[in-house]
Amino acid sequence: MIQIPPGAFARPGTSLEFKTGTWRADRPVHQRRAAPCHSACPAGEDAQAYLAKVELGDMRGAWETVVAANPLPAITGRVCHHPCESACNRAYYDESITIHGVERFLGDEALRQGWSYPVPIPSAEAPRMAVVGSGPAGLAAAYHLLRGGCRVTLIEAMPAAGGTVRTAIPHYRLPPDVLEQELDHMLALPGLDFRLRTQLGRDVSLEELRADHEAVFLGPGRRKGREWSADFAVPGNLRTGLQLLEAWVAGGTLPEQPRSVAIVGGGNTAVDLARVLRREGVDQVHLISHQRVPAPGVPADDAMRATYREVSQALEEGVTIHEHRGVRRLILRGERVVGMELVHMKKLEDADGRLRRVAFEGTETVLHVDQVIPAIGQDVDGMGFESLVRRGYMEVEPWWGTVNGQSGIFSGGDARSDHGTVSEAVGDGRRAAAAMLRYRAGKQLEPGAAPEPIPYSDLNLSYFESAPASKEPVLPPEQRLGLEEIEGGLQANAVRHEAHRCLSCGDCLACDNCWTLCPDQSVLKTREVAADGSHYVFDYDFCKGCGICAHECPTGYIRMIPE
Amino acid sequence: MALALEGSQALARTVALCRPQVVAAYPITPQTHIVEGIAKLVADGKFNCEMVSVESEHSAASVALGAAAAGSRAYTASASQGILLMAEVLYDISGLRIPLVMTCANRALSGPLNIWNDQQDSMSMRDSGWIQLYCATNQEAVDTTVQAFRIAERCEIPVMVCVDGFTLTHTLEPLELPTAEQVDGFLPAYSFRHGLDPAEPRSLGTLVGPEHFSEVRHAHHQAMMRAQEEIEQADADWAAVVGRHCGGLVETRGDPEARLGILTLGSVLGTLEDAMDLDPELPRARFIKLRSYRPFPAEALRQACEGLDHLIVLERALSPGAGGIVGPEVQTAVIGMAEPPRVHNYAAGLGGRDLSLDLYSRIVQAVFGAERPREFAIIDADPALLPESDR
Repeated sequence: MIQIPPGAFARPGTSLEFKTGTWRADRPVHQRRAAPCHSACPAGEDAQAYLAKVELGDMRGAWETVVAANPLPAITGRVCHHPCESACNRAYYDESITIHGVERFLGDEALRQGWSYPVPIPSAEAPRMAVVGSGPAGLAAAYHLLRGGCRVTLIEAMPAAGGTVRTAIPHYRLPPDVLEQELDHMLALPGLDFRLRTQLGRDVSLEELRADHEAVFLGPGRRKGREWSADFAVPGNLRTGLQLLEAWVAGGTLPEQPRSVAIVGGGNTAVDLARVLRREGVDQVHLISHQRVPAPGVPADDAMRATYREVSQALEEGVTIHEHRGVRRLILRGERVVGMELVHMKKLEDADGRLRRVAFEGTETVLHVDQVIPAIGQDVDGMGFESLVRRGYMEVEPWWGTVNGQSGIFSGGDARSDHGTVSEAVGDGRRAAAAMLRYRAGKQLEPGAAPEPIPYSDLNLSYFESAPASKEPVLPPEQRLGLEEIEGGLQANAVRHEAHRCLSCGDCLACDNCWTLCPDQSVLKTREVAADGSHYVFDYDFCKGCGICAHECPTGYIRMIPE
Repeated sequence: MALALEGSQALARTVALCRPQVVAAYPITPQTHIVEGIAKLVADGKFNCEMVSVESEHSAASVALGAAAAGSRAYTASASQGILLMAEVLYDISGLRIPLVMTCANRALSGPLNIWNDQQDSMSMRDSGWIQLYCATNQEAVDTTVQAFRIAERCEIPVMVCVDGFTLTHTLEPLELPTAEQVDGFLPAYSFRHGLDPAEPRSLGTLVGPEHFSEVRHAHHQAMMRAQEEIEQADADWAAVVGRHCGGLVETRGDPEARLGILTLGSVLGTLEDAMDLDPELPRARFIKLRSYRPFPAEALRQACEGLDHLIVLERALSPGAGGIVGPEVQTAVIGMAEPPRVHNYAAGLGGRDLSLDLYSRIVQAVFGAERPREFAIIDADPALLPESDR
């Protein structure tokens, strides 16, 4: 029985008997949510997570966070079109984080310091997996299978690893020493049986691979040039864009020295070749595309497939782009091209109600050129797995890469009709590896999707200050003549500056706002990192559910959920 | 030995004799001389205490509260607007049952601004849960202050000693100050049962929910009612030391055989006594000095009113829209008598208006032959000074 003393003072502990938590209608919870950079990354990198490690000064930990998704950050940090930065919430505030600069720095730093991949040495009894093709998709698949404790047989038809990254990316975008170092670093992983000059269908059959391995990943890329003609005319000296680009990347020269060239196509091969031709002294380089320059705001289905950065640099370097144009016919003198007739293309609905591009009669113009180079894409060369190729592509389940109608065969990368970048290929290889491990374990593959990103409106920007982004140095167009890399890297202090700018969307910043502002002292600070990765726990005995913590959380990490 | 001292100086020296360890106050007319006097005693090394200069009356009361809770005898003083600014803390002090003593140098409340004597300020704290003792003379102010510390500390209820501003605080009178030995013998060292002590932590002022609040208020009311005994006892015990009474709860003076009574609080009593003494032709009156307004001594009051036909309650405060403040309470108390007097209620002397000797005859004539209680009036107001509509 309670006895109330004069003045109704409270003895120690008695006020704690008022469990004000019973008043609560909503409870705050910590909920790590994906940052937009994470959701947008085709390779699946969690940039927010590694920026947080950089902020703490843990560069190696940051790199290990990168390579938890992508084993090739020195490469992708240079060549990726970084959709992470387009998605970055900070873009609404001042400028996106220069994420690709941080990724590149970490990749370079790992090579410089010789950091080892956090990959276990597989046991002799480890399951064996096969990967065909050592382009970015195959490399990523092999790497993630090794991380998963498997032994991997990786076969490559060519005399060197890398696929398109080696053969078709100009050195001014990706210096060869960076490529060699990062590939060597990864290919040295224990448990990897890497066989060069081994062609599927010639040196080994798909059935043999399936017999000796638990599952097979096919990363053949697209190497078979498509037939091209304009009004059934084909010039005598016709070479495809990929052939010329590969020849230049391999040898540094071109077979011919025309004065003016038209490249037909709007993909990265077309744009890369256009820039190479400018470097080789070709005066007029024309790019003919059905689509438009992929500037911000241009809908994806009306934009060239080449990335915006490459197209804008090509324009800086003097390439002329003819948007919304098609080739009506070639003007030949004998077998040699002297010009071409172009026509405007417009979109109309066809009989099935789909939009198709059709020539806009009466808009024909003539363009005088010495050479025309089709760069209209390639098909999968299905040697050894012909029956799996449909209309020039691999048809796969979009998330896990399961080849339709096949058991234990997975695919991804350029071989898919919808993917054409290094980072997409890395993501395909990573998810396929996860699918292969589940397949072997007899687990069902649930439908997968990129995590839903936290919107900008869920952040509280009152706690951030505006700060300009660090930009990497870019070679001015007039100096972009040789093989020198156009974009430089960020310095360490700039990398830390970017990490400091990161809004930490959806993750705990350990800023102490919730702890400081809770009117009921119901946010307790932990000495060690708490189980959910934050530094705080809620005392639900006394939390009244006022929501101040959630409102004042700068990063949207705290959410109120109904009791 | 009698000294000719200004009331405020006498109070300052009396407070020093009571040895509070903490004094916190903010100056306000007509309280200022009291606190200045204490400050001078401290500065001169004649009085050892922590004299805290604060930025407001709210802080003064808060400091005193904290000091008393932490184990120091504490004192403060104020008046008028200062009392109002303290109001929030005064309720805390009494509700937390902190023993404190303060002097209220009674002054009118603004607006309009007025710095002179009436009792509206302490009346506004009628329901604050403080004991209120009203002093008729500076001698009573001195003796009541000493008693107040013992009452407060025994009852664990704060005591407000109400002293008419200027009329007492700024007036020289011959009076006796007690000796240090007398006060020390009367007042034991301060000890508060519920004081804050790091060795036995407790929390004052915590939340008390609806499940216990009524009991807390009941306890406070009962303690106030019981305090009547302590007020009587303190007066009797102090009289045994110094040979002077202050009148306990209620004191009757004047003509004990008179059928007319006049009830007053504070210094106006002297004026009325002089008026009656100076003119033997005037009707005789029994004077009832209400010393303890809170607790309200209903039983003692009924005894004091025994045998009266008329009782005039004369006050220096007003409840606009109702009339007197004390009058209705007295009326309520006397209803319990077998033959209650008719109670007539007047206010006079508001805002320091001089109460001259003819006041006595005015109020006595006003009730002469009344069959029923007279209507309340501010008896010295001159309606001729007002527009017709306000008379």
